[in-house]
Amino acid sequence: MSWNAPQKVIFPRWVDPLVKLAGAGAVLGGAYVAMLVAYGASPKTLDVGYAPEQPVPYSHTLHVGQLGLDCRYCHTSVERGPHANVPPTATCMNCHTKVLTESPQLAPVRESAQTGKPIPWVRVHDLPDYVYFDHSAHVTRGIGCVSCHGRVDTMDIVQQVATLSMAWCIDCHRHPERHLRPPEEATNMTWAPPGGGSVEAREAFGRQFRLDHKINPPTDCSTCHR
Amino acid sequence: MPPWVKPLGVTVAFLAMIPFAVIARARVTASPDPRIHIIRDMDNQAYFKAQSSNPLFADGRAMRPPVPGTVARGEDELDDHRYRGTTPDGATYVDAFPEGLTVDAALLERGRGRYQVFCAPCHGVAGYGDGPVHHQALAAINRGRPGMEWVTPTSLHAENVRGFQVGRIFHVITNGVRNMAPYGAQVPVDDRWAIAAYVKALQASQRTED
Repeated sequence: MSWNAPQKVIFPRWVDPLVKLAGAGAVLGGAYVAMLVAYGASPKTLDVGYAPEQPVPYSHTLHVGQLGLDCRYCHTSVERGPHANVPPTATCMNCHTKVLTESPQLAPVRESAQTGKPIPWVRVHDLPDYVYFDHSAHVTRGIGCVSCHGRVDTMDIVQQVATLSMAWCIDCHRHPERHLRPPEEATNMTWAPPGGGSVEAREAFGRQFRLDHKINPPTDCSTCHR
Repeated sequence: MPPWVKPLGVTVAFLAMIPFAVIARARVTASPDPRIHIIRDMDNQAYFKAQSSNPLFADGRAMRPPVPGTVARGEDELDDHRYRGTTPDGATYVDAFPEGLTVDAALLERGRGRYQVFCAPCHGVAGYGDGPVHHQALAAINRGRPGMEWVTPTSLHAENVRGFQVGRIFHVITNGVRNMAPYGAQVPVDDRWAIAAYVKALQASQRTED
């Protein structure tokens, strides 16, 4: 029975310092991968900035920013129910039976009004299906639209500005005073407390409002996961 | 150490920066592409949320409209005064508020808020028919935009409108009139009465006796 002795491998001398470096490389490489995943997979990277193309190029800059339409003119259910509705085509046609009746961009709206088939608007803000969220509970207790949706009045194409992550929800449930305002100002995109728009002034107003109106947002699991 | 180790290390360190630069750019730019969720958990479950779509139905709606003629319990809307602003025979408009609705400061304040949301865009904050939508429509006509069939909104202080009964104001809000669209679907019944009350107050506020 013949047996082949393994060939002797002789490393060159310059390999010696590299062996020591390899240990450091493994540690550094691991940290690198961890940082890359944490940075790249964070909701700030993956969720913020989502701005889907819509079937009709509806501009909030024009309708809200310039015409001054209140959010609730279209999103009528926001104060009464969990879901802030996308308006029915009939709401568009309140004006567009008289305004820009030949616009090619509005053709899907006219078609929807004639046929009764809904316009396939693309949802921008979508919470995971295991999360319960109620718009009316927030809007009627002093959380403004702008806190979560950003300056929609300057958006030609609506985009997501908040992560809508659980850490983000809980941060506000623990410190709501930064976002509180009188409920009648909920849809005001540029509201600031009497002392100005600084963080200190907002917190000062919010602390007092919180006391006066007993705003104590729960942080139990079952608040949102029910 | 051979001469190529150092340049190799520098190159690797440089290349390692690229993914971070790409991610940093992605964080500050908007994108129409769908969001990437690496761990899906149960983000999207097999049920339909409000206003989602369902290809099983011809119109694509997951939310099914009620069968025509369906009346929800407690919503028979048989009270002509409350729901139509008319007398039971439908012949004349009522000039009183429906039973159970107290006209007080709170109702007027509610009406003011709702008026500013739903009416002021065309009728103007003070009711003279000069709201921002009207101005924008005039500007579009001046620029020669096609398809402008705009009609000047009615001033709520016109002689004939001043004489409207509250029931008629309610009726117009609910069902629309001439060029004005109906707002019954957008504004709940009690809010429509609140707006009617506020319009009456607005009319009184703009009227000076000779």
